[in-house]
Amino acid sequence: METEKIIGLFKTVTSDAVIEIALVIAFSVAIIWLSQRVLPWLAEHLHGKQRLFVLALIPTTRVIVFILATIWIVPMVIETTVQNMIAILGAAGLAIGFAMKDYVSSLIAGIVAVYELPYRPGDWIEVDGTYGEVKHIGMRAVEMVTPDDTVVFVPHLKLWNNLIHNANNGGPSLMVVTDFYLSADHDAHQVKQLLEDVALTSPYVQLKQPIVVIIKEEPWGTHYRLKAYPIDPRQQFQFMTDLTARGKACLRAIDVKFANLSPEHAVPVTP
Amino acid sequence: MSTENYWRVIRLAEFERPDAPASTRLQQLLQHIRSLFPKSDEVDEDEQKDDFPGYREFDVAPAVEALDEAWQEWLEESEPGVKFLISPPFSGSANIARAWAKQHGWQQLQAPQRELLSGVQVDDWWQPQATEHWLMDSLSDYWQRHTNGLAFVRTLLPKLIRGELGQGVVVCDSWSFAFLQRAWPASLPNVYCFAAANEKLLKQVGIQTNSKKLKALAARAFGNVGLALALWAVERNADHSLPSIPSDCGDETAFVLYALLLHNGLPGQQLQGVLPTLAADQLDVQLLQLQQARLIECKSEHWRITVYGYLAVRDFLKSRGYFVDAF
Repeated sequence: METEKIIGLFKTVTSDAVIEIALVIAFSVAIIWLSQRVLPWLAEHLHGKQRLFVLALIPTTRVIVFILATIWIVPMVIETTVQNMIAILGAAGLAIGFAMKDYVSSLIAGIVAVYELPYRPGDWIEVDGTYGEVKHIGMRAVEMVTPDDTVVFVPHLKLWNNLIHNANNGGPSLMVVTDFYLSADHDAHQVKQLLEDVALTSPYVQLKQPIVVIIKEEPWGTHYRLKAYPIDPRQQFQFMTDLTARGKACLRAIDVKFANLSPEHAVPVTP
Repeated sequence: MSTENYWRVIRLAEFERPDAPASTRLQQLLQHIRSLFPKSDEVDEDEQKDDFPGYREFDVAPAVEALDEAWQEWLEESEPGVKFLISPPFSGSANIARAWAKQHGWQQLQAPQRELLSGVQVDDWWQPQATEHWLMDSLSDYWQRHTNGLAFVRTLLPKLIRGELGQGVVVCDSWSFAFLQRAWPASLPNVYCFAAANEKLLKQVGIQTNSKKLKALAARAFGNVGLALALWAVERNADHSLPSIPSDCGDETAFVLYALLLHNGLPGQQLQGVLPTLAADQLDVQLLQLQQARLIECKSEHWRITVYGYLAVRDFLKSRGYFVDAF
């Protein structure tokens, strides 16, 4: 009797329906495969907002194609009555709850990520202390590449209960903070103006964005934080290098001494 | 031939680009898409050897009249102070201002040497050539984009605005002006420019074609007379096409092009000074590559963007998110 009930949930699938389902699946896979190759290629030729927009289309396209294909296929296989749907969803829920909880949770979080946009391809994010650029958003995990060229796979599951730090949040503006540690005895206004000019004269700087210098007095000297934006988020490390190199040269030229941290202020380094 | 003068001097805030017909917008879009996917094949050898058709000068007298008309009252009052004339690249505004100054017997000031510039010796620069009425024909020569190159112009601008140096006209390149507004954020008073060229003005400077083509040309050239003349010269010569950005251009190329536009051209050594990030050999490679692509040229040891390459360069920098001029 139970077997008959279960069989009763499904329609009789004809050979025509099988062919149609196969075609829909093949077509959907082809569109997703193409979007995952063409859109990144196109994005590589673009910069700024245009690049990020094209990259954001990749996961969106996949989810839209997936939903459309599901809407197409399900009524061909299942008798879509309320009773049937409750029975199928109940059975599926039970299976998921026991066996594939984390996997399905990641899949659902992946869909949530597409409309909630905590990260998009091209964003620079930090999850659990790992910082890098989002290269690909898969069904289950997000693929990011760290500045040291290591690929890290982060399951979307992290979205539910972890802090996701997004440095540029889908836009081309990403703030770079460059630190300078100076001994206390100097003219702070002169150094502040100098560091602002160091940023203003960097070829990497985005002139549309503000340049700010924050000064904080510490027991060992003065801590300067130079905040500015590069033209492209991908230039952030070259930008920081340029600011550090030219900033040090300029500070030396006006005879400002750099701070020597005493052992108690030194940052412990673990091997 | 019409005797009416279509040159007009306006406040910078009133500047509007000429409306582009739909066909021109489509052409610009296609050009932009082409520039995103540059071809890797090289320019035809024979074509490379030929120079571009002559980019001829135009009669500046009507433009000088327009300046006279706009500033007549100010001239008669003869009160200390300055007027800024913003000049998009290749627009010929500096030439017009020089002719205007010559007509009124105003002295053309010499730009400071590098030592005076880095030493912020404004008085040492001014005293030997002090005069009541003067023309500064290129404000780009009064600053450089490095940490020692901004203090001079920051000291000079308040003096100019307060009228401490008498009555004068300052011609400032539009790219320089955009950067200086960022480097010295106080808003400048009395900023003027020439109104965008329309089909009537293009006819006046000697471009003879139908009204539709003139309108499209004015839109493609952003209302810039010099650029329109160059585009027209290329359009009439079937052997040439406008240069495009090479396929392997990266950040370094953008740095060089942007630095050249900001400073309205620079000698190689000074270019290295404003781009210390690039090693000397890297810079040489970039200059050579851009010269081969006919986007830049070297005249009297000064590297400059070519008039024919300007549109491609501007589009390239804009698509990369650079802070471009208002024209």
